[in-house]
Amino acid sequence: MSMAEFDRFLFAFTVGSHIILVTMSISIILLLTILEGLKLRRNNSAYADLIHRLKRVFVIFFGIGTASGIVMAMELVGLFPGFMTVVSMTGVINLFYAEVFAFFLETIALVLYVYFEGVFKWKYTDFVLSFVVLSGTLVSAVFITMVNSWMNTPNGFNTADFPSITGVSPWAPFLTPSTFAQVMHVLVTTIFTGAMMMGAFFAYKYLKDTDSGERILDRIIVRITSVTSIVGIVLAGLTGTNEMADVLVNQPLKYAAFDLNYNSGSNMPERLFGGLQNGNFVYGLQIPGLQSLLATIETGKTVLPGLTQYPQSTWPPLLVHTTFDVMVAGGLILGVFLFIVFLSFVLRKDFLRYRFILYAQILAGAFSLIVYELGWVTDEVGRQPWIIYQVMKVSKAANYSTGLLIPGYLIVAFYLVLVPLTFYFFFRIYNISGIHRESKPNQEGVAY
Amino acid sequence: MLLINFYFYSTFAIFSVFVVLVFTEIMGSVLLLLNWNRYRNAVLPYIVPVWEVTGTFAAFWVVTSDFAYPALLIPLASIFSTALMTFLIVFVLRNATISFAEFFNKKGWMDSRKLFSGYALSTLLIGLIALVVLASVIEGNGINLSNLTFSLSDWSSSASGILFMVGALVILIGLAPIFYNDRDLKTASILFVVLGVIISNVSFVLFKDYSLSFLVAIPDVLTIALPLLFFWESTGRIISNKIAFIFLASVDIFSMSFMVYPTALGGKLNVDSITNSGPLAFSYDVITLVGTIILALLIILYATAVKRKGTASYIEQAHDS
Repeated sequence: MSMAEFDRFLFAFTVGSHIILVTMSISIILLLTILEGLKLRRNNSAYADLIHRLKRVFVIFFGIGTASGIVMAMELVGLFPGFMTVVSMTGVINLFYAEVFAFFLETIALVLYVYFEGVFKWKYTDFVLSFVVLSGTLVSAVFITMVNSWMNTPNGFNTADFPSITGVSPWAPFLTPSTFAQVMHVLVTTIFTGAMMMGAFFAYKYLKDTDSGERILDRIIVRITSVTSIVGIVLAGLTGTNEMADVLVNQPLKYAAFDLNYNSGSNMPERLFGGLQNGNFVYGLQIPGLQSLLATIETGKTVLPGLTQYPQSTWPPLLVHTTFDVMVAGGLILGVFLFIVFLSFVLRKDFLRYRFILYAQILAGAFSLIVYELGWVTDEVGRQPWIIYQVMKVSKAANYSTGLLIPGYLIVAFYLVLVPLTFYFFFRIYNISGIHRESKPNQEGVAY
Repeated sequence: MLLINFYFYSTFAIFSVFVVLVFTEIMGSVLLLLNWNRYRNAVLPYIVPVWEVTGTFAAFWVVTSDFAYPALLIPLASIFSTALMTFLIVFVLRNATISFAEFFNKKGWMDSRKLFSGYALSTLLIGLIALVVLASVIEGNGINLSNLTFSLSDWSSSASGILFMVGALVILIGLAPIFYNDRDLKTASILFVVLGVIISNVSFVLFKDYSLSFLVAIPDVLTIALPLLFFWESTGRIISNKIAFIFLASVDIFSMSFMVYPTALGGKLNVDSITNSGPLAFSYDVITLVGTIILALLIILYATAVKRKGTASYIEQAHDS
């Protein structure tokens, strides 16, 4: 493995780990905000108990996620100094800079929300503070996704003059051609995945708990996460379709790799799984005309791009076709599961009475994380070998210092321990943090 | 370039606040490691909410420095690659241990005290790494600019860097009783701070290619003033106020900016020549203005909350339940 490949591997590993923590952070603070809102409307002690516990576990994910975010920011400098030099000389640095202030908003609001409970007497304080923390968290995620959008569709300087940086437009990176589509899809899928994972945890707890009070709390969370997930999967489908249309228009080579189009053309089939052998599609399923039909509906384009329009040295690894297909298929499977849950809501059936749905929820929670990670892998690997699409290759941006090797492997080993440990502490602290409820609701199925 | 290098001084100001926040954590860590039972009630109520803000200031400083010195990123990333990655591991360890410790009681051999000790040790290590990097940036010792490498053995072969680090740590040990208001140690505080300042000044004299300016007297006087003010009851109350201390200590650190301006790396690097002066300045200033207003409002809100209620009771609650 060359140093450039090592840098790429290390950063990919760090981001892959980081997004698990961020997903959990976002889902927990979203849950807290919803619970704070419900507590205002209905004076139910169960909400207070859940808020009390979830606040504590949120601090864990926030603390580790913050550190992990700083690791990412500093790794960008340490592993890809060439890239960060371009960033610093273009408006992209403004995105990082604005993100820092969003981060401050999130941090200080969190400190007030968690450690100064009851200090401000206004009855909406907790709800507002949780909402501010949620907003800071989401805005941070938006800014960092904007950076990624810029990497996919760079603007704000004369790319033709590169490596000279000329014609800098400081605000342009805030709205690249792919920003809207990518930000919407990332936000929706992050919230969706977090909700599914939280739902899985509480479904598991519901199956295991024997204490009726605990089961009431578990029910509340499973029902909230189910509603969030149902809305999320619908929006994920819509934003994902929009994102694919954006890739077709703005990153045609990536699109060709996703759909394994060897040559450009019209009336293209949809290729499911399989691979290319001497330019021919093998070992997969083809649905005639479907790809072109979808592309025409989404973008109006009738002629679709092919890999051979570009030098082979600039092709991404064609594995992205498989990761893309697994991601889409995974989304559809999750959609089917959530449709069953949706039906139970419509038919006013209590789906928590069916153990198979709870087991399915646990599996779906884990599976949603795999799908989410695959989505990120598809996007990032699909841009290779570029770090800034069609402008700068990873090999030109990388740090070739061998001093990175040992601490780099230590970081990998560290994350392999840290992420499971974080979940362990999450479970443990959630379970030991229950407050004494003065008045328990007298039956299960508390309305929310 | 402007008459004053605004970006240099603004990044140094952010750096100063960040360093002071780290130092206050190091001081607390030293006390926790020395005598857990005696100091936990004084240290934890401060550290527990503030560690999250310190991390944010780290990001703040990194990003503003990225903007201010884009030309330095490649050389610094190569020179300090090992230090940077080691710092990152320890930083995550610090956050992990303290966030686990906050609400954790006991499970098997693990308890919150051990986790807090892990936090204290990792914070100390962060301080040591930062001091090594800071000393080498001021003096240039251990840095090979032609190969863009840093050698810890070369760095440690010179007494100046070691003395700089020892001096800083002795000063921090001396300042700890002030910040955490242990009046029993007010005399020891003076002795440690004076000793630390002397050691630091010796290190400055030994820095190669570095001409000692009379301006070094500014941080010296400010640093020694802190334990002297603490010595008397009336002024001691003011100086042990955390906000007052952080402000004064930040001014103290900021006054060291002349040691890296106009040249850093022992005179090898002209700071003005590597400061960003491109077309991004206006947008950067706009974000700075808007962000600073938001930050100021948040800090006012935070200060109001601190004034109304400390955090001690919350921590007790956390460990009781």
